[in-house]
Amino acid sequence: MAEIGRVRIRIPSSIKQGDVVKVRVLVIHPMEIVQRRDGKPVDKNYHFINRVVVTYVGKEIAQFETTQSISENPFFSFAFKAMEAGPLTVTFLDTQGGKYEGTADIKFS
Amino acid sequence: MDRLMDNSGITRRALLRALGLLGLAGLGGTWPGAPWTAHAQAQGPGSLASLGPEEPVDVTMKRLFGSRPIKDGSSAIKLELPLIAENGAVVPVSVEVNAPMAPQGYVRTIYIISDKNRRPLNAKFTLSPTMGQAFVGTNLRLGETTDVRAIAELSDGTLLMAKREVKVTVGGCGG
Repeated sequence: MAEIGRVRIRIPSSIKQGDVVKVRVLVIHPMEIVQRRDGKPVDKNYHFINRVVVTYVGKEIAQFETTQSISENPFFSFAFKAMEAGPLTVTFLDTQGGKYEGTADIKFS
Repeated sequence: MDRLMDNSGITRRALLRALGLLGLAGLGGTWPGAPWTAHAQAQGPGSLASLGPEEPVDVTMKRLFGSRPIKDGSSAIKLELPLIAENGAVVPVSVEVNAPMAPQGYVRTIYIISDKNRRPLNAKFTLSPTMGQAFVGTNLRLGETTDVRAIAELSDGTLLMAKREVKVTVGGCGG
């Protein structure tokens, strides 16, 4: 799991101002699920992503709360309206303090 | 006969004392018969106490929405899911809500809930009007064949729901 926290973010190759753009983002993460021993859940600090924050040109535009019901190496897609050029950043926060970021530069062609 | 009574009396006393000691050990949480008690107070946002409780879906719905009416949103919500998921560990889902995204009225939150997962609330997406379109997608883990619900909460508080069943061949929750 050396790659843990690697973020891949994909945007369409050409964006026009005012377009609604679909973004796909993926992060390498184990998303640990609850272990059971004798039918009882084992209590520990499970390692999974519990929050995703999307910022666009410095402004937070969306926040996702996620659980262990999201697959390993979680993938998310969402849409946003590209009104100005600037960075689109997706930040993943996990339960053990990990913070992983991916940024795509929004430019108009 | 007397001697027999004496003997049994001592045995009984010793037995009670031993039991008392056992009880104390049990309270201290160090009794080796229960290894999980040693970790009972796991800390952090990933500990069991911080996870959503294991509950049936009705309880989740009640916890999230109380007694607010939920309208049928099958015409407004496009919920895309496979009919049959061969691998429950990765089930792609996407939700698109056909509603304007303007500051005066937009889709504020999208919940994804799968009925038969131990913790039915899978994800909560909080959106803002700058997104232009209420669309989210992700991959779910589904334990068994289940209904998956997408619930959209509009900024005026209206709740819309769409529901689809997914047949899961191999569960994705690790048993």
